[in-house]
Amino acid sequence: MESRVIFWGINTHQLIMFYMIGTASMLIFLYGAYTHIAKYARGKSLVGPVEFTDRLTRALRDIFSHRTLRRRDNAAGFAHKGIFYGYLFGAIATTLYFIEIDILKPLTGITFVKGKFYLIMSLLLDLGHLALITGIIYMMVRRGLLRPKKLEYVRNYRGETELRPDAKTWKIEDWVFLTTLLLVGLGGFLQEACGLIVDQPAWAAWSPVGYLLAKTFTGLGMSVETAASIRAANWWMHGILALAFTAAIPWYKAKHVISAVGSLFMRDSRPLALLPPEPKDAEKAGISSIADFTWKDMLHLDACTKCGRCHEACPARTAGYPLSPRDFILDLREYNDDAQGCPTSGPPLVGGIIAPETLWACRTCGACQEICPVGIEHPSLIVRMRRHLVEQGTMDPLLRNTITVIGDTGNSFGENSRKRSQWTKALEFRVKDIREEPAETLWFVGDYASFDPRNQKVSQTVARLLKAAREDFALLHEGEKTAGNDVRRVGEEGLYEELVSHNIEQMDGAKPFKRIITTDPHSYNTIKNEYPSFGKVAPIEHYSSVLADLLGQGRLKVKKPLNKRVTFHDPCHLGRLNGGYDAPRKVLELIGCQLIEMPRNRDNSFCCGAGGGRIWIPDTPGTQKPSENRVHEAAALGGIDIFVTCCPKDLTMFEDARKTGGHEKDFVVQDLAELVAEAIELKSIKLQDLPPLADRIVKSVATQIADTVAAKLDAVLANRLASIPAASLAAPVAQLAAAPAAAALAPAAPGSASQAPPVQEAPKKEEAAPSAAPAAKANGADAAVTLPDTPFKPVSWDAISPVTPASFAGYQAPAKNGPRILVTIKHVAKLGDEYGFTSDGRDVRREFMEFSLNEWDDAALEEALRCIEKLGSGEVVAVTVGDADADASLYKVLAKGAHRAVRIWDDSLTNADPITIARALAGVAAAEAPDLIFSGVQSGDQAHGATGTALARILGLPHAAVVVGFDWDGKDAMHLVRELEGGLRHSFDLQAPAVVAIQTGINTPRFATMKMVKQAKQKPLVVVDGKDVQDGSGGYQVRRMYVPQQTKAEMLTGTPSEIAKFIANLIREKKGA
Amino acid sequence: MAGILLLAEHLNGAVRDITKEAIGAALSVKEQLGGPLVVAVIGENADAIANAVDLSGVDEIVTVKMQGDHFDPHIYEECALQLGMKYKPKLVLVGHTVNGMACASAVAARVGAGFASDVLALSADAGTVVATRGAYGNKVNLEVAFPGREIVVLALRGATYPIPEGAGSAKRSTFEVDLGEASKAMLHTGYIEAPPSNIDISKAEYILSVGRGIQEKDHLPRFEKLADRLGFTFGCSRPIVDSGWLPKPHQVGQSGKVASVCKVYIALGISGAVQHLYGMKHVDTIIAVNTDPEAPIFNVATYGVCMDLFELTKELETQFN
Ligand SMILES: Cc1cc2nc3c(=O)[nH]c(=O)nc-3n(C[C@H](O)[C@H](O)[C@H](O)COP(=O)(O)OP(=O)(O)OC[C@H]3O[C@@H](n4cnc5c(N)ncnc54)[C@H](O)[C@@H]3O)c2cc1C
Repeated sequence: MESRVIFWGINTHQLIMFYMIGTASMLIFLYGAYTHIAKYARGKSLVGPVEFTDRLTRALRDIFSHRTLRRRDNAAGFAHKGIFYGYLFGAIATTLYFIEIDILKPLTGITFVKGKFYLIMSLLLDLGHLALITGIIYMMVRRGLLRPKKLEYVRNYRGETELRPDAKTWKIEDWVFLTTLLLVGLGGFLQEACGLIVDQPAWAAWSPVGYLLAKTFTGLGMSVETAASIRAANWWMHGILALAFTAAIPWYKAKHVISAVGSLFMRDSRPLALLPPEPKDAEKAGISSIADFTWKDMLHLDACTKCGRCHEACPARTAGYPLSPRDFILDLREYNDDAQGCPTSGPPLVGGIIAPETLWACRTCGACQEICPVGIEHPSLIVRMRRHLVEQGTMDPLLRNTITVIGDTGNSFGENSRKRSQWTKALEFRVKDIREEPAETLWFVGDYASFDPRNQKVSQTVARLLKAAREDFALLHEGEKTAGNDVRRVGEEGLYEELVSHNIEQMDGAKPFKRIITTDPHSYNTIKNEYPSFGKVAPIEHYSSVLADLLGQGRLKVKKPLNKRVTFHDPCHLGRLNGGYDAPRKVLELIGCQLIEMPRNRDNSFCCGAGGGRIWIPDTPGTQKPSENRVHEAAALGGIDIFVTCCPKDLTMFEDARKTGGHEKDFVVQDLAELVAEAIELKSIKLQDLPPLADRIVKSVATQIADTVAAKLDAVLANRLASIPAASLAAPVAQLAAAPAAAALAPAAPGSASQAPPVQEAPKKEEAAPSAAPAAKANGADAAVTLPDTPFKPVSWDAISPVTPASFAGYQAPAKNGPRILVTIKHVAKLGDEYGFTSDGRDVRREFMEFSLNEWDDAALEEALRCIEKLGSGEVVAVTVGDADADASLYKVLAKGAHRAVRIWDDSLTNADPITIARALAGVAAAEAPDLIFSGVQSGDQAHGATGTALARILGLPHAAVVVGFDWDGKDAMHLVRELEGGLRHSFDLQAPAVVAIQTGINTPRFATMKMVKQAKQKPLVVVDGKDVQDGSGGYQVRRMYVPQQTKAEMLTGTPSEIAKFIANLIREKKGA
Repeated sequence: MAGILLLAEHLNGAVRDITKEAIGAALSVKEQLGGPLVVAVIGENADAIANAVDLSGVDEIVTVKMQGDHFDPHIYEECALQLGMKYKPKLVLVGHTVNGMACASAVAARVGAGFASDVLALSADAGTVVATRGAYGNKVNLEVAFPGREIVVLALRGATYPIPEGAGSAKRSTFEVDLGEASKAMLHTGYIEAPPSNIDISKAEYILSVGRGIQEKDHLPRFEKLADRLGFTFGCSRPIVDSGWLPKPHQVGQSGKVASVCKVYIALGISGAVQHLYGMKHVDTIIAVNTDPEAPIFNVATYGVCMDLFELTKELETQFN
């Protein structure tokens, strides 16, 4: 029967030898496999469960179809397919022979590789081998002659011109791999041909290649004897080469034949779209050393074949930033090849092997992982390493600022949340507030669409389109905070979680709605993929698909097909990460645009460069912006009218790149919605689309009346206050108490002199000033009016009355263990460019203020922390006078390292004078008996520059102000330096305990991540009731607050270039040039 | 109980301008408050300084002999208290300076006086003082009163009141103060002069200054180059120095240098805090660029530009290419 003689002409000795070599080869292979498995075993375990069948089918589909290899390099994919199937058939055949010869036959005498089965196998093997050899030859030609750039290992994006030593060995291994495989293949054919010449079987044609080769050899005059001796010699050569190849698999590039399979199986279904959370109990954030890698991470590293597809696709690398996803992975792998999953004493992984600037270069566009043929998830590694950098505070100062601002205000623009829906003011209709009325659709607007002027126009257009389509929609208005997609990708996981729980809470507490829509692909991505792990969220749609539906259903009717030649940029977060490729194209088709695709489209879309928080990090000088690269690509299409975007950040980036890239004349950049508006001839809203006319009139009249009344009332009150002579402000109380309304408004106290006024006075004032404040939702103090003052104690030189520490009977400080430093902290307010006063005209209304930690106190805290760190023991206690909102600043200082916090509050302390504040602080200080007190020189909002000094005096302690140098050993005198006017410094010594008021510049305060802030919530924060602080010993009473009449600068208006010209002329004139 | 007690401030044997300005401020309310204006000079060379504060309108100059001329807030406080007991003034006036910050509120707390700092205007209403100060980054003004207080301590903002003209003929007296514990709190060890520099803001006629609005250290060279091209001296606000981006001599303002002879001052991304304004608000032509239309810098500028400073800078760079 048809079969093959395996051990042809081999005697027993030789057979034993062969088996010994074979066993050795297997052992080497197995040992290699074992070292890998042992290495993976040292990796961290995975957090979530791994769904098996889905992954298996996906992996098998990917592997057998070679889908991932063919993309964007068809020839290489095809060649690899040949190699793969050739090798696979060879491996299967070898395994079958192994089963037959070494297991079945010795045990049972059965053989099965024979007859028809053998013939078909022969044919397949023969063709497979041919494919393998052809594939390898192509690969060699590609490497040797075609030399695509992506296979180049020189890191010229880092300014290197020479190969690194490691890269030289990579080149060698590439060639060794190809050559051995080629020799194994060729040797196989030679063996077969010689066999056919010697044996001359009837079924020779079933091995067509071998048969043709045999024919050629005999044609060239090869005798049977020659063939036999070649056959004998080549048997060994081929056999040993094949065994050597097998043994070497785990030890070099060839390992990918196994690791890539594992990697493809293990890849996440939505990598990057859904980032892994930090384990709940993690002590530190992210990846800082090899110990933080999961076994899956290590497996991915081992799968890399250096194919360079990610290197080619990466926008950071293309723009000249120091990041190549391939080199990133290879560097990590090299590192782990040495470390084998154990932390080493060598250079640190993050900051040493991988530079921070490499990590910050990433735009988390996902192009690398998307094109990776073996399923490596680069961005996930990068983001997890960023988490570590964020925790360390190693980041661009502007990024750090933005993160702080987002933490403070909930948006990256640092705007008051009140302004979030200000863009709706320009609309002809009112936009519902989902917190008050139910709606079909909740529109999650996002930061750029809310605050960026260009994008606000788009938002207005979208709103009008929705209205025109009679879509019932509402916003969260100021209840919305940034969705956090990019915050998470920056690596600020704590802040991200904070934002998610806020937004989910807002949506939970809102009136019913069925779905969410957004114009922002970033918000879309995180709400769709990541929010569900935090709570229930309604399904979300991107407006591109909403518009496609509305047009498709005829709810928006195209009146004027645009007939424009347009090109379309796929936003990374919509397309690559969420597969939203078709809806925007459908919209363009429906409105009659001719879409000319850019060469890099759909999954190959080239990132605008804004993602992953990069929009908050300035571009490095000397790099091309990815967005410019992109607009050049669009311009090269020729004759394009419009560059269409459907992402607010894209609009911003490309609008800018069009100018800086010099394509202002080539095309315009427009948002999808703007084109739709043009096509349906949306001008303004038809009356019938608006709420009934009567309704609107009633509403607007009501608002007007309310406004007028409030304004009048304000004026009357202000006048009245101004006309009360200062001296009579402390007039006998009885008189005022007779008129309760006035008593509540006038700055004099009802009730007995030493008691703080009862708080229930507050609600009355709202009645007195109807709807003056737009639904004021201030915490703590009433927003409409400040509380009346406590009458002052009379003081004169004959009866001085030193201010005493407030007494907090209930407050007890814990026992001391080591030095104790008290730091005074203030949550300071900042006004935006619009604000209004309380109706008694004595303060700004709360809702116009943004709060943050006072920068002078931040420096004071830093100095205290350094001092305690230097002394080696002790604690830092933060004290503030403030309402519950001030906890935000206290948590910040606790996160930075303060050990405890104390907050003193009573509504009577609202906007109190510095002496009163100092009296309150002194109350806690007296109980704490600290070894040292630090305060800031002044607060950023009121700038009294007096609280620390007053505090010292009330406590009877020595003190110093405006200190820029501090040195203390904890025992002897402190050496201090204060800064005088003009920069002169004054040095002196002071004995502790003392109060030292710190000036900025003395140090650089540390940074607290949101995670640290969250952890800080475990630390003790005690609230002390401050109702007895006001005892009539305050420094001043506020009469009124007002906007000063000032001569203002002549404001120059016009384009930047016009203004620059004006200034240039002015300068030249003044310089007499 | 009447009159005004003013604590003079001096450094290296010279009286500070703030003291003379405070005399001006005191004169504006002296009549309404009644009683004399007494200026106290504390120090070793008090007599020499006393001559310098003898401006018209000062009724009495009292010198308090002390060891050493350096400022010690504990000593000044003690002197203020004992002088107060003697003269019983309605108003105790000091400068809102680095020294003032270290003693004014201590004096107030010590006696339980009315108190306000960084006062930019004062008036008298029916025999009592009313003071005006800024609030919320000086975007608004705050008018405060001290009902029931026969003693008020105010710290006056610098460069707000003009120095009165004309020499005076004040009565001279001396006063002995028993320092007690106050002399032991602080040990003076010396002064540290700023290191010499080839940048001199006080001599520059044209200054381009940047503030925190430039956001990033990496942006500095760009502005430095622009200043250079314009032929302007490169200045900055304090946070730029605090962050270590520029050396101290570049700083304009109270704790930096005053742009005394400057003719054109360009402020990019500077909010206009009092201490910065102190160094430049007198300049004839001020051009301020800020994205916040309410930034206080616009209150002193000649020309204001409410715009992103980077956008404008780019155009300026083209203009001066
Ligand atoms: C005792 C003492 C002495 C001091 N001495 C001095 C001193 O000598 N000199 C000094 O300067 N300060 C001094 N200060 C500090 C002072 O109080 C302020 O903190 C400081 O002046 C603020 O600097 P800034 O205006 O640069 O920063 P900020 O107040 O933060 O202002 C930045 C401004 O930039 C604007 N801006 C932001 N981005 C842009 C943009 N893209 N385009 C345009 N505008 C933008 C913002 O609207 C803002 O108005 C002193 C403080 C104390 C307590």
